[in-house]
Amino acid sequence: MLKFIETIEAFNRLLGRSAAWCAIGMMLCQVFSVVARYVFSYGIISVQEAVVYGHAFLFLLGAGFLLQTNEHVRVDIFYNMLSPRTRRWIDVVALSCFVLPVALVILWVGLPYAARSWATLEGSRQAGGIPGIFILKSAIVVFAVTVALQAVATLLRLLCRLPDAHWRSGTEARTH
Amino acid sequence: MDSLQLTFVSILFVVAFGSVLIGIPVAFALSGAALIVSVAAFAVGLFDVSYLAAIPSRIFGTAMFNEVLTAVPLFILMGVVMERSRVAEDLLVNMAKLSKRLPAGLGISVTLVGALLAASTGIVGATVVAMGLLSLPTMLKQGYRPSFAAGSICAAGTLGQIIPPSIVLVFLGDQLSGAYMEAQREIGNFSPDPVSVGDLFAGALIPGIGLAFLYMLYQFVIGILRPQDCPALPSEPDDDLPVLSLLGSLFPPVFLIVAVLGSILMGIATPTEAAGVGALGAFLLAGRRLASGTEDDDFDVPVIWGRLVSLAIAAALLLPVLRSSADLRLTLDVITIGNGIAIGLAMIATLLLTVGTGAAIYILARCGHLPNVVTGTMRVSTLAFAILIGATIFSLIFRSLGGDEVVTHVMEKIPGGATGALLAVSLLVFVLGFFLDFIEIVFIIMPIVAPVILQSDIDPIWFGILIAMNLQTSFLTPPFGFALFYLRGVAPPEVRTIDIYRGVIPFIGIQVFALAMVFLFPALATWLPSVLLGR
Repeated sequence: MLKFIETIEAFNRLLGRSAAWCAIGMMLCQVFSVVARYVFSYGIISVQEAVVYGHAFLFLLGAGFLLQTNEHVRVDIFYNMLSPRTRRWIDVVALSCFVLPVALVILWVGLPYAARSWATLEGSRQAGGIPGIFILKSAIVVFAVTVALQAVATLLRLLCRLPDAHWRSGTEARTH
Repeated sequence: MDSLQLTFVSILFVVAFGSVLIGIPVAFALSGAALIVSVAAFAVGLFDVSYLAAIPSRIFGTAMFNEVLTAVPLFILMGVVMERSRVAEDLLVNMAKLSKRLPAGLGISVTLVGALLAASTGIVGATVVAMGLLSLPTMLKQGYRPSFAAGSICAAGTLGQIIPPSIVLVFLGDQLSGAYMEAQREIGNFSPDPVSVGDLFAGALIPGIGLAFLYMLYQFVIGILRPQDCPALPSEPDDDLPVLSLLGSLFPPVFLIVAVLGSILMGIATPTEAAGVGALGAFLLAGRRLASGTEDDDFDVPVIWGRLVSLAIAAALLLPVLRSSADLRLTLDVITIGNGIAIGLAMIATLLLTVGTGAAIYILARCGHLPNVVTGTMRVSTLAFAILIGATIFSLIFRSLGGDEVVTHVMEKIPGGATGALLAVSLLVFVLGFFLDFIEIVFIIMPIVAPVILQSDIDPIWFGILIAMNLQTSFLTPPFGFALFYLRGVAPPEVRTIDIYRGVIPFIGIQVFALAMVFLFPALATWLPSVLLGR
């Protein structure tokens, strides 16, 4: 089972760290677009859209990784006053009754949404845009799947008391 | 509206805030609570599952394909690069050296740097933590009274949200513009003047700078009245750099921030464009800073890379000059010799900029900063947008249950008309600020109350600025203020919690004064947008 968990986590880690590079891509595309538009008066819509793609991939593909490292923002005023045992139970409830259902519902409604887009290979609404809206919309499905898988992996760790660097008895919530 | 609806909307509120408060990650607490309540509502026939089908298109439209919000990761990238490459630290150190002859010079530098940097980070926690780590030890070593030092840092950390281009103002502007359109349509105005993020930036400038000025004035007065609370830096020989060279080192980052902000306020560039250029500028400054090398860095970068970066900076400055002095359109039919030369120069400058950008990225990679910079940007962006996604699902279900009618109904019951409703919302926001961060409040509360509030003749920009200042005050207020928690987390044990509480009280006084001024004189917030952007 540990192998199963570790596979999910390695995948999410890789995905999150790769998605992070979208930040550099966004910057380069945005500056390219600014120079082209303001200096040479030459607008290229697909490059401007690439910024939007980078933006969306950045946070959609990073969400599972952030769940793994327990970095999603929480209000810890009262949480920190509780015993480690209670905190662990809150985490179990959070993952099983909140994170997992939310991810599954997004998956449930996101699949047909992405499928409709794939059916027509939906392109940009603007002439000259990137013809890949269906890929962008599929990212919602990837977001839901990775968050759901990570929720399962972390739940297993918590329930089976497996070693864990980030969620250990909920002690190190929100330390940056 | 029937009582069953009211019951379910109330339950939704209680479950959502309850789960947020016990420490369930906010993004999932909001959306999960909404789902749980919607299942119950479905059971009694009050909710139709088909409403949920709108979730993906909402996520797509609100968070993903939203050009305004693409500015957010870019501003975060700019802030992270400045922080990691120690450009920010240099700024603070040099500012402190420059102002050491002033009473409370170090305190004043902290406020100034907080105002400047916060612009690019804008998340309270990040700024307070960074400033706390950077300046608190120095202040204490220099003999500052702990309460004065702690208060100055907390206040400087929250200043950043109100001073543009903070990312929370980007989010607030995005939410307000939607809410304002909706509200005006509701009362039959089908062509309202849209509110843009630029408008909000312009509106925030006078209150923000005014606050920074009031903070510094207070610190200056303390410096004169109680010099023992904030002693000056003891003179060291290597500190006696000529003022000019200090100013020279301050100039580049300040210029970058002013250029980014100025281009938005003058209406030249969109926030996204300015953010992209700002991030690149931060990369170039960081590359130059790291290539020049310092004793505490144990890597060396061949000089040539640093030169390339400097060339790129020069080229970047040349481009706007060329643009304004010649016609550079590539699509011209006839290209005169003068224009041809200008186009050639512009192409060379662009090439140099490209090479220099590559060099700057290479330098950051070589120094091992690049992976941290990108994952840092990804983290902050993801946690903000995860909350946006959660809040989107929450408000979708909230509205499906008739929550907006309930809110309208409740607000109509508040005495005092529009002003009464505004005060009630302000109080609500102030209290919520104890528990929730700016982004959460903007995402949860704005879509619920703003469409109702903005149906009266309340100016949307004025409303936004009041909310922003109100939240900033809330973050400073003991015992729950956010800034205080973050500082507590990084402060050494000899700074007692009560010192932090005592230290912020004068700053809260300043906040309340400034808030009252903006409330009484809305022109403080609305005049600049009307002049600059013709609102």
